[in-house]
Amino acid sequence: MLTDASLMELVRAERRDEAIALLLPAFRRKVFALAYSFLRDREAAEDVTQEVFIKIWRALPGFDARASMSTWIYTIARNASLSALRARRPQSSLSDPEVMAAVEAIDPAPSPDVIVYMEAQSHEEVATMLAMPVGTVKTLLHRARARLSAAAGKMSTSS
Amino acid sequence: MSTPDSELDRHLQALFRGLDTRADFDARLMARLRAESQTDATERTARARHERARYRRAVLELQSSRRSMLRLLTLDTLGIALLLVAAVVTAGPRLSRDVMDISSQYGPYIAMLLGILIAAVPLVGMWAEQTRRPIRLL
Repeated sequence: MLTDASLMELVRAERRDEAIALLLPAFRRKVFALAYSFLRDREAAEDVTQEVFIKIWRALPGFDARASMSTWIYTIARNASLSALRARRPQSSLSDPEVMAAVEAIDPAPSPDVIVYMEAQSHEEVATMLAMPVGTVKTLLHRARARLSAAAGKMSTSS
Repeated sequence: MSTPDSELDRHLQALFRGLDTRADFDARLMARLRAESQTDATERTARARHERARYRRAVLELQSSRRSMLRLLTLDTLGIALLLVAAVVTAGPRLSRDVMDISSQYGPYIAMLLGILIAAVPLVGMWAEQTRRPIRLL
């Protein structure tokens, strides 16, 4: 049974690699789904997932257990995904501040549907992963389902 | 959404379940972590070497400053002794016969005591240096 305490024991015994090997099967897909929900790009999401686990490996000795390990991991994953998203935005020069402002104003809202369908997580769990209220998750999910349903309808009528 | 009931949900779930990292994800990650671990160890060794060098430098500086203090103390004692001799020589003719008698009687002892004091200063300093606990800077 994987617990935060057992992981911290491994970290204290300077066996971080073993701790990561235990965390990987439990969190790899979740972190990947979270990164994918932001980036909507498989390659980029995989790169972010790698970076997230390396960050976790580096930061494990400093984990102070104020939050649960999963919350801590999701925070790292969210921040890494947002950084990757920002890095992907077009780099505008200082001569066009209006373009710069417009680019900055783009809302990097994640798609909770990806996590829900990939990992079959509850709304509450998805809300924790994305650090947003459950109501927002439900709204975003409802919109995504409507969009997907419309797209599926279009596909079936065109075929 | 943990119990999807519609056809669309089932379809989407089947679609998204196929979305995953590549098969060699874990192996690549562990290889990167091993490389990180080695870099970490190299950095730690370099840091330790740098700290040891800093410690040695600091100890040498401290020993050097102690030796300088000792030299200064010895020169001070010599200077005081010389001043005392000069004071006695200058004031000698003006002193009363009783004082002269006493000084001629005890003069060699006083001179010997002064000599012992001057010789003792560096000896005491050296003894203190040797019996001092090892310097701990870290």
